[in-house]
Amino acid sequence: MTLSLILLCILAALLELDTTYAFQLLLSRPIIAGPLFGWLIGDMSAGVQVGIFAELLFTDVSPLGGIIPPSGVVGSVVPLLLYAQGIELCFGFFLGVLGAVLYSFFDALLRKTRFDWLIFLEKRIDRKPTDIKRTIAVTLLLSFLMSFIFISVLAWGSSQLMFILYPYISARTHFAFQLAYLAVPWIGLSTLIPAFRLKTR
Amino acid sequence: MTFWIRINMFFRSFFLQAGWNYVKYQNLGFALVMMPFLRRLYRHDPEMLPTVLKRYLEAFNTHPVMASFCFGAMAHLEENVARAKSVTEYKEQVAEWTGARRGLSITAASIGDRLFWGTLKPLTLLLAIFIWMLLGVNFLETDGRTPVSLVYGFTAGAVAFFVYNSIALFIRWQGIKIGYESDDSSCFGLTRFDWNRTIYNAKRIGIIFAIAIMLFGVYRFFEGIRVDIHFLARAVLVLFFVIISFVTRRLRIPNVYLYITAVVIFNIVCFF
Repeated sequence: MTLSLILLCILAALLELDTTYAFQLLLSRPIIAGPLFGWLIGDMSAGVQVGIFAELLFTDVSPLGGIIPPSGVVGSVVPLLLYAQGIELCFGFFLGVLGAVLYSFFDALLRKTRFDWLIFLEKRIDRKPTDIKRTIAVTLLLSFLMSFIFISVLAWGSSQLMFILYPYISARTHFAFQLAYLAVPWIGLSTLIPAFRLKTR
Repeated sequence: MTFWIRINMFFRSFFLQAGWNYVKYQNLGFALVMMPFLRRLYRHDPEMLPTVLKRYLEAFNTHPVMASFCFGAMAHLEENVARAKSVTEYKEQVAEWTGARRGLSITAASIGDRLFWGTLKPLTLLLAIFIWMLLGVNFLETDGRTPVSLVYGFTAGAVAFFVYNSIALFIRWQGIKIGYESDDSSCFGLTRFDWNRTIYNAKRIGIIFAIAIMLFGVYRFFEGIRVDIHFLARAVLVLFFVIISFVTRRLRIPNVYLYITAVVIFNIVCFF
């Protein structure tokens, strides 16, 4: 992995913190993250398209209760990182969507295991309440590191996979991926109309 | 509550979900936000702080923006706990505090989920798409995309960001004050706003936006294409996915799985 790809993964992991753990200003939503990554890789139109497609596709799952929606940041950064390496968006987007779904399972696992070590830190807070700031800083740092490792491994793994498979991809397979990619905005837009259904006043 | 404590709580509220876990949810963040107020309230009796903090480290879960009402209300009720003159009164006030925390967090979460995740987020997405369409960005074309300038690329996202955050930050800031100044007769200030009317009006705007963008999108998708096999293929694709999306929505199947299934089915069809 080159230095620029590592820097992009660091930025993606920082943005991923905004999804749940810090700020929640929605800087991590694909319509913002997509153009940002697109600009950084040098193709703004690809960034805008991936951003809109990813957000439309993920918009029907909200973080209600303990539900973790697919990661918009992973869904935007993976296709654009692959695109920067010469892999078409229709393939990259598919891998990005798979990665985003995988990330939600990974995040659920982190949240399940986090309590096991948080309980020790809570006991320290009981004794010394001012330790709470340090505990929050540690959890944020660990969340960032986990996101960074996941995104880097996913980006590296999917690019290696595509480099191996790319020469063997037939025109038919290419057409199938293109067609499914073309359908994404229509899938998203048609689910937005029922989302605004007026149930009660 | 002084102005500086309110500011401190406001900034700390951005880290409410930092230690989110499936056992106690936002308890760590909740304790972090309330800390400046508690330290001031118990400044003459700092030995009490660890005991008080135990209550704040119990399970707590609500919507991150609407949580501000809970912070204000809990601060208000904590003052009553601190003022208790007898053990019986102390126990009564703690029981009231615990009940209010549970009830208020559920109510605030319900309103926040409907307003922010269910309405405002998709509405700002539509707003961004609408702006991009007005700026001439044709994101529906996958082949031969036209270049997008830096300003055009960021404008729509920035507008969506400012619209969403102007409302979210206003509620975060005002919620602390309103929650603190109100009592349980007005559900700690939650009844001060007509949430149902706001959500209803926002959804009405949303549905108009969604239909307009859908129609505009169809127009742009078929613009300049002669009625031939390509036109028919595109029409079938759009119609098929619009219908199937309505069906999967009713069956509560997420869009992601519909897309992944489409990739697999198209590959099988193309293979044969």
